[in-house]
Amino acid sequence: MNELWQLYKSKTWVEPFLVYSIYLFILVTVVLFVLIMISRSTKIRNERLIRKYEISIEKMLFSILFGTENYGSIKKEEDFISLNQKPLFRNQLLESVINLHQNYEGVYAKKLESFYFESNLINDSFEKLKSRHWEIKCKGIKELAEMNVSKIFNTLVKISKSKNKTLKITALNACIKLNGTNGITHLIDHKDPIDTWTQLNILSAFKKGNIENTNGIELLLTSKNKTVVSLGLKIIQTLYLSQKAVFINELIATTNSEKIKSEAKNVLHLFVNPKSSKV
Amino acid sequence: MFTGELHQFVELYLILIMVYAILIMSSYLILAHLSVKQLKEHLKKNSFVNYEVLLSTEFAPHLSLIAPAYNEGMTIEENVKSLLSLNYNNYQVIVVNDGSKDNSMEILINTYDLILVELQFETKIPTKKVKAIYQSRNAAYKKLIVVDKENGGKADALNVGLNIAQNPYVVCIDVDCILDKDSLLKLAKPFLESTEKRVIATGGVVRIANQCIIKDGRLVEVNIPDKMLPRIQVLEYLRAFLLGRMAWERLDGLLLISGAFGAFDKEIAILSGGYDHKTVGEDMELVVRMRRYMHDKKLPYTVSYIPDPLCWTEAPESFTIFKKQRSRWMRGTIETLWIHRKMFMNPKYKLLGTISVPYWTFFEFLAPFIEFLGLLITAVFIILGLLYWHFFLLLVLFVYFFAVMFSVIALYSEERTYHKYPKIKDFLKLLGGALIEPLYFHPIAVYAALVGYMEKIRGTKGWGEMTRKGFQKK
Repeated sequence: MNELWQLYKSKTWVEPFLVYSIYLFILVTVVLFVLIMISRSTKIRNERLIRKYEISIEKMLFSILFGTENYGSIKKEEDFISLNQKPLFRNQLLESVINLHQNYEGVYAKKLESFYFESNLINDSFEKLKSRHWEIKCKGIKELAEMNVSKIFNTLVKISKSKNKTLKITALNACIKLNGTNGITHLIDHKDPIDTWTQLNILSAFKKGNIENTNGIELLLTSKNKTVVSLGLKIIQTLYLSQKAVFINELIATTNSEKIKSEAKNVLHLFVNPKSSKV
Repeated sequence: MFTGELHQFVELYLILIMVYAILIMSSYLILAHLSVKQLKEHLKKNSFVNYEVLLSTEFAPHLSLIAPAYNEGMTIEENVKSLLSLNYNNYQVIVVNDGSKDNSMEILINTYDLILVELQFETKIPTKKVKAIYQSRNAAYKKLIVVDKENGGKADALNVGLNIAQNPYVVCIDVDCILDKDSLLKLAKPFLESTEKRVIATGGVVRIANQCIIKDGRLVEVNIPDKMLPRIQVLEYLRAFLLGRMAWERLDGLLLISGAFGAFDKEIAILSGGYDHKTVGEDMELVVRMRRYMHDKKLPYTVSYIPDPLCWTEAPESFTIFKKQRSRWMRGTIETLWIHRKMFMNPKYKLLGTISVPYWTFFEFLAPFIEFLGLLITAVFIILGLLYWHFFLLLVLFVYFFAVMFSVIALYSEERTYHKYPKIKDFLKLLGGALIEPLYFHPIAVYAALVGYMEKIRGTKGWGEMTRKGFQKK
């Protein structure tokens, strides 16, 4: 302490400290300024390239969808060979395939799925699944689920137990997309609470997926996890599954949670009076 | 003898000032570091969030928007219209006319076809007398409730809204703010996300809308003001919201949710007594009181914060209005810290008592005073010939370049996150602002804060008239 005091008193440190700090502040400012400029110019360049790529991607995909072309003929084109090696182009191509697949059904969707498989874009998605970064994993899951790659189902069940909420939601939504009601019955044994936001996302996936077979949803009501039971009740209420009333009555008789009991009674009440609000 | 004592005093003074400067600068850098981390995480998560989930479900939280209005006749019609057209289903809008002297009520009655209604509500928080409650005959405006009450100030108007609100969450806003269309979706989400802790409040980022283009109550073009005073406030808001509040959210030590835009758990807001009409810093005071209530009752809770720019407001363009606003902010800070002085350095309140409240006390409340004192003492040194000009100039440059660097860090964060100012001209304007700020804006801000101290000592109450220029419309 005394040494520090002596050093302080000697004042020899003051000038170098101030001068070097000023240099450091100026340096950081200049570096950040340069980084901002680089970031801006990269953004502009990428946007320009993406616009350019979009034109050729659109032309190519539309010729596959509505024409007679297929991946076999396209992969021989010189333009495609050179562009396909560029990561930005491949990303854009994958994004366009996924977007189109969301908008088309039937034979068109099948054509896009074949293209996804033959062009090895599927491998790009699988690579993302292996990533250590959850956000990249999420992207991969979304792509594979959208393209109906059902062989990833078991991997998704594992991922759905993740602590990372976003990853969990993405995996559960993918499970529902690929396997309907069976996609979430594994939640019965789920130990962690599922928050309302996650529940609403699962509910939305159900609504979006137009899932007709709802057999097994009632199993959620038997879970020891109250949030899973609450999710089951929400699904039954939203999809208006009045045939499940018997299971709800059973739940009311057996549960010792007042909150669940009230939620269950509310669902039954809505079955009787669909236009009424909560009891 | 006298010279020896003087030198000792100078030594002591220099040590204290240096320690204070290093503490304040390093705290800014630590907070900025935490903020950037939090911001990055938020943006990563947000890229997978589908807010439409909340639009299509009856389970979305039910919200009551409370918009107090005082002499807003010039803009109230359009502002209410924009509040009624937000992307959300389960919400009502409660406009509380706080005894306006202009024709606000007439405009509201005529525009929205309002009729008197007998709305039953319990007065859980005492307020000034409610004269009448109106609802529209037009089904298109069924979400709207207009309350006409005796003048009692903003806090009193908000309390009337809390009493009347029929939904479990209230969103308190300034009626003249421009809200993002999805602002309610984003503000409501945190209330659904916690299973172990109760989310008692959520705040959103406020940005400056001067010289931005507004169409039908929505922001359509972002511009940076040409005038230096509002321009530097853009930079100031970027620093405060992007490099400050995100860090406090991460630490769960947020003390302030802007009065312009924040959502609260109505039950807790009422249980903790609602807005305090005796303070001009009612927004900060309510958050501190709600947190204190939860701590005292030993209830697990958290306060959430959304870094997305959801609310745009008009910043003062004239020195007089700016001075009034900042002196009021300082009075509000003093009043809140004084009311809750029991929390200061009190380990019972955990991080709140040991870090948040002391931080506000030392670096928000005391900073202008210490700066002013520093200037006075420097002047005395100059007069007595004690000033080492060489070191003094180095010290000035040290502080100046730190301030510039910190603003550029904020600009870099904005660039890499929301990128709301894509025009190169706007970026250069902000950069210019960063270079000028320490010499032009900062002294004015310190002066306004000192006026706030004086007003507090003199016992000044109330807001003072805050005239606004109005937004540029398309």
